[in-house]
Amino acid sequence: MIDERIKADLIRIVGNQNYTDNLIDMVSYSYDASEHRARPSCAVWVETTAQVSEVMKLANREKIPVTPRGAGTGLSGLSVPAHAGVVMDLTRMNRILELRIEDRLAVVQPGLVYADLEKALAPHGFFFPPDPSSGKVCTMGGTVGTNAGGVKGAKYGTTRDYVLGLEVVLADGRIMRTGGKTIKNVSGYDLTRLFVASEGTLGIVTEIALKINPKPTMTTTAMATFNDLEDAGRAVAEVMRSGILPSVLEILGRETIVAINQNTDLNLPEVEALLLAETDGYTKGETDFQMGKVVDVFRRNNPGMVKLAASQEEAAGLWKARKSAYAVLARIKSHFVLEDVTVPIGRVPALLKGIQAIARKHSIQIATFGHAGDGNLHPQILYDGYDPAQVRSMEAASDELFRLSIELEGTLTGEHGIGLSKAPFMTLEHDAVSLEMMRAVKRVFDPNNILNPGKMALDAA
Amino acid sequence: MEFQSYNMPDELYYEPNHYWVRQEGDLLVMGMDDFARKLAGQIVFVQLPEEGKAIKLGKKFASVESGKWLGKVYAPVNGEIAGVNEELETNPGLINQDCYGAGWMYKIKPDDLGEVQNLLHGTEAVQKWLAAEIEKFAKGA
Amino acid sequence: MEAKYDFERKYREQILRCSRCGFCQAVCPVYGATLRPGLNARGKMLLLKEVMDGRIDLSNELIETLFQCTTCASCTHNCPSGVEVSEIIKVARKDMVDIGSCHPAFTGMHDVLLHHDNIYAEDEAEDFGRGKKATARYVFFAGCVGLYRETEATEAALGVLDKLGVDFTLIEEACCAGVLEDVGFPMNDKLVETNIERILATGAEAVITGCPYCARTLNNKMQYAPLRAKGVIIMHIAQFLKDYDLGLHTDKKVTYHDPCDLGRHCGIYEEPRQTIRKLAPNFVELPHHHADALCCGAGGGVRGAYAKNSIDMARRRLKEVEEAGAEVVLTECNSCVHNLGNAKLRKQKFTICTTTQFIHDLMEEAE
Repeated sequence: MIDERIKADLIRIVGNQNYTDNLIDMVSYSYDASEHRARPSCAVWVETTAQVSEVMKLANREKIPVTPRGAGTGLSGLSVPAHAGVVMDLTRMNRILELRIEDRLAVVQPGLVYADLEKALAPHGFFFPPDPSSGKVCTMGGTVGTNAGGVKGAKYGTTRDYVLGLEVVLADGRIMRTGGKTIKNVSGYDLTRLFVASEGTLGIVTEIALKINPKPTMTTTAMATFNDLEDAGRAVAEVMRSGILPSVLEILGRETIVAINQNTDLNLPEVEALLLAETDGYTKGETDFQMGKVVDVFRRNNPGMVKLAASQEEAAGLWKARKSAYAVLARIKSHFVLEDVTVPIGRVPALLKGIQAIARKHSIQIATFGHAGDGNLHPQILYDGYDPAQVRSMEAASDELFRLSIELEGTLTGEHGIGLSKAPFMTLEHDAVSLEMMRAVKRVFDPNNILNPGKMALDAA
Repeated sequence: MEFQSYNMPDELYYEPNHYWVRQEGDLLVMGMDDFARKLAGQIVFVQLPEEGKAIKLGKKFASVESGKWLGKVYAPVNGEIAGVNEELETNPGLINQDCYGAGWMYKIKPDDLGEVQNLLHGTEAVQKWLAAEIEKFAKGA
Repeated sequence: MEAKYDFERKYREQILRCSRCGFCQAVCPVYGATLRPGLNARGKMLLLKEVMDGRIDLSNELIETLFQCTTCASCTHNCPSGVEVSEIIKVARKDMVDIGSCHPAFTGMHDVLLHHDNIYAEDEAEDFGRGKKATARYVFFAGCVGLYRETEATEAALGVLDKLGVDFTLIEEACCAGVLEDVGFPMNDKLVETNIERILATGAEAVITGCPYCARTLNNKMQYAPLRAKGVIIMHIAQFLKDYDLGLHTDKKVTYHDPCDLGRHCGIYEEPRQTIRKLAPNFVELPHHHADALCCGAGGGVRGAYAKNSIDMARRRLKEVEEAGAEVVLTECNSCVHNLGNAKLRKQKFTICTTTQFIHDLMEEAE
C-alpha cells in the first residue's frame, strides 16, 4: 500500500486523473508479455519530462522503486515491478517531436508506438530499419531499453545502431542529454550506448533522436523447406559466403509451422525446418539477383522445395505469420517460456541440434523459430504450468539451453533483455570483473537502487 | 434565489423546459438551469448549431444528451443563433460544473428583445413554477 | 481448483491461452481512446486469470473494466492465440450480475425494460405519420435507436421503401431485448413474445430492419426461434436493397464505416458496398475497413455507461474519415450514426448518415 502522504505528493505532480491505485490498473501493471508477475503499489501516467523529473526526485528522496513502462510487451519481465513501488506509464508521451528527412532524423517520445513511427515515415519513403515483431503495439522507449532487434537485424542491425541521442531523467530527477542529432559524434563518452539496452535501470528515457533510412522500394521473398534441421542451419551459415546480405532470414521449426497452419490459411509444408528469406533493393532485377544467390545456397543444402513468393500479398501473409509465431504457439499448452539465445551464425546448426536434444532429454516440447540470419533463435518451451513435473522439466531445459548457448560462444539474450528471466544466469556469461563493473555503473547512476530494481542481477552482492 | 436546494438566480428569465436566458447588450445568452442539470445527470453531448441558423419561438433547434436522457432545446424567442459555447464540444461537462457561467450554451440575436418578457421571471413566478415542476417530476411524470 | 464462476467453466482454456502478447492494444478501441491497459482486452484477461487462480475475486472494483467493452471483437480478430474476449466478457458480466456487481446503467436498463417497451423509458414512439397495416409482405423493424433517437434516419428508410413500392408495415415494437444477455442479464421473454406475436400477426414473410443489432438478435437468439420456425426471414435493409437498381448518382467522395454488428459479427461487408458503389463512383475506403474496421465506440452498452470514452472512441474513427478525405460517411447502423454524429467536431465538414438516408435524399433531389 502506498503511503497517503506520498500518494498526495504524486497527485500534486501528475494530477488526480493521472494517478491510480485501482485494482484493475494494479493487476494490469503487474504483467508484461513474460511469465513474471509482481504488483505495484500505484501507477502514474506522465505527460512531460518535468513530471518525470519531479516523480523521480520524490522517489529518490523517499527510496520508492519506480518501474518505467511503455506498451508492456517486453518478454523478460523488464517492466514488471519486481519490488512494487510506482509504475510510471509513459504511453501518453507519444508524439513525434521532429521529423527532418534531410537530416535523416526523427526525434520521438518514448510512448510513441513503432507502427505510428512507420506510418509517419512511409509517405517520405523512409523507414526505421529495426522491425520488432511486436511493432504494431510496442513503444520506442522499450525498443531503446532492450536494443530491440526484429526480423531485419541481419542486414540492418538493431536499435542501438540508430539512436543518435537521448534525453534522460536520472534516478535523482536530474535531466541530461546524451549524444546529439548528428549522424556521427565522438564527443565525450558514448553515454547514449550505455543507456540503450539498459532496461530502464540507469535512467528514464524521455526523448529519443533516431537515425532513419530511405526505404528500399522492392523486395523479393522466398521460402525453402528442409527435412533436416542441420541442413537448414548450414544453409543459413553459408548465406554469409554468398556475397550478399538478405534483408530478412528467418527459420521456422516443425511445431511452429504446425501451429501457424492451425491458425491461418497459409498451409505451409509441415517439415523439419522452413527458411523464409527476403532481399531488398530498388529494382526487381537487383532483388531477384540477390535472391538468386540465396536460392543457390538453399539448393546446395538438400532442400525439399524452394519457392519464390508469387505476390506481395503472399509475402505479407508469410511475414505476418512469422511475427505472430510465439503467440500462436501459446495455443498449444497452458504456459510457455520464450528464449532468445544467440550464437555466432556459423554455430546455428549446432544450436538447432542442441535444442532438439534438450527437448528429448527432458521430455518437453520446444518449438523453435527465429532470426537465423543473425544467429538469434527463439526456442519456445511449451508446458503445462499446473503440472509440477513439467515445471521442473521446463526449468531444467531452460538452464541447459543457456549453458548450450554459452558453450557455443553465444549469449543469453540477443534482443529480449535480461530483466527477470535471465538474471539468475548472468554469471554463466559474464565474468566477475565485468559484473562488478556493471554494478559499479549502476551505483553511480542510481545509488538508492530505485530504478527498476531487481533486474539484470544488478542487486546481488 | 435558492428554492428547495435548486439555485435559480433572480435576474434570469426562464423558459419552461428549464433553460435560462439573460440579456447581454442586444444579444441573449441561454443555458440550462440547475433543476434540469441535476435531473439530467452528467451531460455528454450538446448540439451546437451553425451561426446564423434561424430559430422559431417554441420550436426545437438543438438537443442535449446525458447518459440516460435526450433533451430537446426549444427556442425561447424568435431570432437566429449568434454564437455557441465551443468549449462544450469537447467538454460538455461544463454545464454540470457551472450551468450559469462557463457552461452557457447559446447566444441568440432576437428579432424582438421584447419577447423575453414572455418568459418566467421574478422570484414569486419562478418559485411557483418550480414548485409545480418539482412535484411533477417527483411523481415520475 | 473447482470453478467458482460460469466464465471459468465455459472459457477457462481460452483465458489460459492468452499469451499476454498485447497485440490487442493495437486494435482495442477502449485502449486506443484511454491508453489504459486495465481497460484493454489483455488487461481483462489478466484480471480473469487472477480470479481463476483465486488471487482476486469478482467485485465492484472490476465493474469499470468488465462493463467497459464495446464487444466489437477487434481483439479476437487480431489475437494470434484465438481468445474470444467479447464472448468471455459477456459470461463474466453474468457472473458479476449474479453477485450483485453491475454498472448502474445496465441495472437501470434491465429495470427499464421490465416496465417499458424500449430502453429509453420513453412513452411515445414516433409513428412517422402512418398507421399500422393489418397484413403486409414485410415488417419494418426500426429498433429503439431508430424509434427514439435517429428518427430522421428511420423516416428516410420508410420513404425509400415507399418509393420502391414495397408492401410493408410498421408494428408496435418492443425492444428486441438483445442487449440484455450481452450485459449479464437474462432475456426479457415478455418483450420477445410481444414482438413475435405482432410480427406473425401481419403474415409477413420477412422482417427488414435498419438495426444490425436487432437483426442479429432476431436471427441468432434462441428466444426468437419460434419466429424463424415459421419461416420468417430476418434481414438488414442493406441486404434488401443490394439488388435494386436505384438509378441514382452522386459525385461526392463517399466512404463507408463498417458497423461491428453488421461487419465482424455477421460477415456482411459487400452488400452495403454493392449499393453504394452503384450510386457513388467516387467511393473510398477508410484506412481500416471490412474486418479491420475501427469500432465507433457505442456498442456493448458503453455509450450508456461510459459516454465520454464512447465519444472519444468515435472521434478516433472520424480522424480516419479526415485521412480518407471523404465528404460523406455512410453506415448501416443507427447507433454508429448517433455516436459518430455526436463526436463530429464543428470544423469537420463531412456528413454522416445511413445509406438509406443518403439514398432518400438523392431520391428527393432527383424529383
